[in-house]
Amino acid sequence: MHELNWGLPVILYLFLAGLGAGAVTVSGSVLLRKGGFGSSRFAVARCGALIGPIPVMLGTFLIVFELGQPFRALNLFKVINLSPMSIGTWLLAAFIIFSLLYALTFVPPSAGPGDRLAGVRRTLAWICVPSGISVAIYTGILLGAMPSRPFWNSPILAGLFLLSALSSGIAAIILMGVFFRRKSSDPDIRNDYHNSSYLLTTSDALLLAGELMIIFLFLLFAHLTIGDVKYAVEVIQSGGALALPFWGLVVGIGILVPFIIEIIQIKPKLLNGGSFNPTPAMEVAISSAILIGGFALRYVIVVAGQITAPAVL
Amino acid sequence: MTNTTSISGRRNFLQKIFGGAAVAATAGSVVSYAAASPDTKAKQKQYGMLIDTRKCIGCHSCSVACKAEFDVPLGATRSWVEYIEKGSYPNVSRNFLPRLCNHCRHPQCVDVCPTGATYKRQQDGIVVVDSGVCIGCKYCIQACPYDARFLNPVTGFADKCDFCIHRVSQGLNPSCVNSCVGGARIFGDVSDPNSEISRLIATNPVTVLRPGKGTEPNVYYIGADHSGEHENNRGWYDVRVTTHRRDKDRR
Repeated sequence: MHELNWGLPVILYLFLAGLGAGAVTVSGSVLLRKGGFGSSRFAVARCGALIGPIPVMLGTFLIVFELGQPFRALNLFKVINLSPMSIGTWLLAAFIIFSLLYALTFVPPSAGPGDRLAGVRRTLAWICVPSGISVAIYTGILLGAMPSRPFWNSPILAGLFLLSALSSGIAAIILMGVFFRRKSSDPDIRNDYHNSSYLLTTSDALLLAGELMIIFLFLLFAHLTIGDVKYAVEVIQSGGALALPFWGLVVGIGILVPFIIEIIQIKPKLLNGGSFNPTPAMEVAISSAILIGGFALRYVIVVAGQITAPAVL
Repeated sequence: MTNTTSISGRRNFLQKIFGGAAVAATAGSVVSYAAASPDTKAKQKQYGMLIDTRKCIGCHSCSVACKAEFDVPLGATRSWVEYIEKGSYPNVSRNFLPRLCNHCRHPQCVDVCPTGATYKRQQDGIVVVDSGVCIGCKYCIQACPYDARFLNPVTGFADKCDFCIHRVSQGLNPSCVNSCVGGARIFGDVSDPNSEISRLIATNPVTVLRPGKGTEPNVYYIGADHSGEHENNRGWYDVRVTTHRRDKDRR
């Protein structure tokens, strides 16, 4: 047996940090962009801003306590070096602080577009978008940095984690939107809501397509190469120990199913100028599938990297 | 003088990035660097080990001596001996492969350590772990291509072979070398061309483990069998590797 030095707390951290960073990044970009979202822009941005920091802090809590001696984690702040974990620690600390401040600007009951916090909120959004992307991407660099782990040792992992984080962030925003949006019979408000939901769904479909592309390239290059990487990637190919969770949960439930449903949903409006009317039940189903897939992706990759090794001694 | 000589890749990288600024800012130190570097490069001490597996009898004296020397907790090993069994009757062999930290020239564990707890000593090239700084994140354990590291279950920090630093700094041999009944282990300064280890490396066909990983190990082998269980895929002969580590396949 190979021992798993990084287990469930680390897997959950990678998933939760990606989810939170993705939600805040999406929130910031929605707030900062000029057109598209109409009067529901603020509601979408608030949703992402308020949920984002929670999973990031929860994940950080998990990895700090995974150390066994949590106060030792303070040693991370005594130096900064080129270890991905060191850079990630500082990025994560900055992101938690700024995303919390950003979330706080949405908390006052008077918060709304053009209130007195609008300037601060925009400035914080400008900080949160790049730092959110950095947090999402560093987790992939963290794993990808090691030649001793051929399954991880690829620059493409960072891209996959970034797309998955943004997609999970959008899924979380849609999911929260379904439960917490104000019910209204005003056709203008409903129209705005459907429009913002349409923009989020099209973006998500694009991200899922990107993930499929990266997974395709990953498998293609594993097939085209020989040696360590080829042996390592066998673990997710048919007959491999992780083939079922990878193809079933990550690719099937996490990417293909939501991607196909989203395409079917957005196609009338995207191509034929029709309308976009997803049912709340379907929105919940798609978002949940994406979140399950996001967790399964971290699980499969973290475990696969540790149960495989360079072939030749 | 020694601190201007780069050892790890990370420091090289920093020098490449900040080199220009350093030239402008501290011309004096750059001059001394240029003057010192050819000299120090030749004299940079690097302890290493040569293991002649033809003389190894697989008795585990080294593993036991190491356990006793450091009170290594149950289930963990700083030094271990792998058995590689190969072939089908009557064409069979069993070879022994003693393993320990390779004290690499480019240690990946050092590159990934976020706190600087693990570092390569300038004075003798030994890669050490400062348990006062280590946070137990296990990144170095993931990064070592040789699986030489483990999380010490008693202290909770990363641990591994340190070439018996307390012994070699007193001029003694490491405990595993001292206890080897076959005289299979030679310890010494590989940077000194006149040392016994350097002469043996120069005059024998030697190999290192996983040279393709770019780590440039300082533990050399004569007659090592590099066979692994992946060769069973071919179906030509059987290979079985026994690592003698608890719950551990060879990584």
